[in-house]
Amino acid sequence: MKAAKFARRFRLWEKKRGDRRTGSKLWATAGEALFFAALFLFGSVSLFAVLTGDAVAVDEGASWGWWIWLVLIVLASLVVVGGGGTVYTILMVGTTAERRRAFAKRATDIDLLAETLPSPKDFPNVPRDVNFRNSPGIKLSYRLPLTSSPSWRLLVIGVFSLIWNGMVSILIVIAIRKHLSIDIPPDWYLNTLIIPFAGIGIASLYLLARQLVLATAIGPTSLEISDHPIRPGQGYRVYLTQAGRLSVKSLALSLHCYEEATYRQGTDTRTERRRVHEQTIFIHEDFEIMPSKPYEYESDLKFPERIMHSFQSEHNAVQWRLVIRGEVDKWPTFERVFPLVVFPSATIPESSEQPAV
Amino acid sequence: MEPLISIQIQDIRPYFNPGDLIECDYQIDAIPANEIQAVEASVVWYTEGKGDEDMGVHYFERRVLSDDENDLRQWRRFTTTLPNSPLSFDGELIQVCWCVRVRAFLKQGKEYCFEHPFRLGNVESSRAVS
Repeated sequence: MKAAKFARRFRLWEKKRGDRRTGSKLWATAGEALFFAALFLFGSVSLFAVLTGDAVAVDEGASWGWWIWLVLIVLASLVVVGGGGTVYTILMVGTTAERRRAFAKRATDIDLLAETLPSPKDFPNVPRDVNFRNSPGIKLSYRLPLTSSPSWRLLVIGVFSLIWNGMVSILIVIAIRKHLSIDIPPDWYLNTLIIPFAGIGIASLYLLARQLVLATAIGPTSLEISDHPIRPGQGYRVYLTQAGRLSVKSLALSLHCYEEATYRQGTDTRTERRRVHEQTIFIHEDFEIMPSKPYEYESDLKFPERIMHSFQSEHNAVQWRLVIRGEVDKWPTFERVFPLVVFPSATIPESSEQPAV
Repeated sequence: MEPLISIQIQDIRPYFNPGDLIECDYQIDAIPANEIQAVEASVVWYTEGKGDEDMGVHYFERRVLSDDENDLRQWRRFTTTLPNSPLSFDGELIQVCWCVRVRAFLKQGKEYCFEHPFRLGNVESSRAVS
């Protein structure tokens, strides 16, 4: 048994972690309420002054200018934010975290809202698996979705490369014009700036070309599973297909578990991830994949007993995933990640969602 | 004067399974009855570790002084069926802890809290893979 302890030591130079406070909670609440009340007061008084003053008086038949509407909107928003903030702060005084959560939980117990929640009603804080079961497989029950699709990476690099190189091209044109012009002297500051900018542009083009070739040479990867969600201690079948024209040094399928923790430090939000489980399911070496004959392999997958289920809360998560890692001749190593949802070993009730096949 | 909060979990064991019925008793001592304004009892889970703390409430009751109940110190029992998740977990970055928590609110605005931890499920702890 333990009693709750709260750190009260005041730290001058350190960034505070999360919601932990170094000062009085009561004073903080009073300050917050005063701030919102001042906002409300300022907004109300100013709004009244503007509405009753000469500035808004217009001749008959004419309408207010756009700037008066802008001032009115800003002042009205101050009144709304200030008033709402004051009422909310006062309501929260003396309400414990448990009581607030209990109110929130009661709201989620309403069936209509329960469908919109990230977790099934019977398994709080376990992510929903409906997205994992809406794509039927060719050989096994479900085809698993990919997390980091190479096409997204390609799109991001492509957009960046386009914008960056467009900007550099404009700078180069300006610099050349200045060099060619007799009236304007060359801008050496601009010339110096162009060199690193052009370097970044060339690097992004190289990366784009590489991703493009990588995406076309290493064909699509597909992974199917015999059942979902996963339960600890159970056995499953997995079926992997890999297309493309590749000379493969090694291709491995492994099961990983990650813990992910997000925390605030001052104004920064940081996320730390750590791999806590790794299990190789199979590894194949030295073989060829031809466009006419994709690589196919079916294997058993046994989940360990007493493992932590998938868990998702606001700042913490436990994530399970199947990872395909391939080393191919002349190309960099590629990785494909397929997330899974592991439920606790308790029996899943029949009321759980049915796959939308 | 600080109140003495006692919590007792009936049939305590190394771990409870999801769906088990948990039966808890609690009592407040060492303080006059008229000093206590309200008492809150809850069964909660919370996270510890590197990330910011998250918490969830599975069971919650709040008792206030009323005509029906004029002494909040008295021994009280509540029961609740434990949920399927989240299970207790001792990880590398995350720990999921379950406890029965009782808070007593005194008339001067002071608040006292006491917890009795327990484990839900029998999940193995994890360590980082290099």
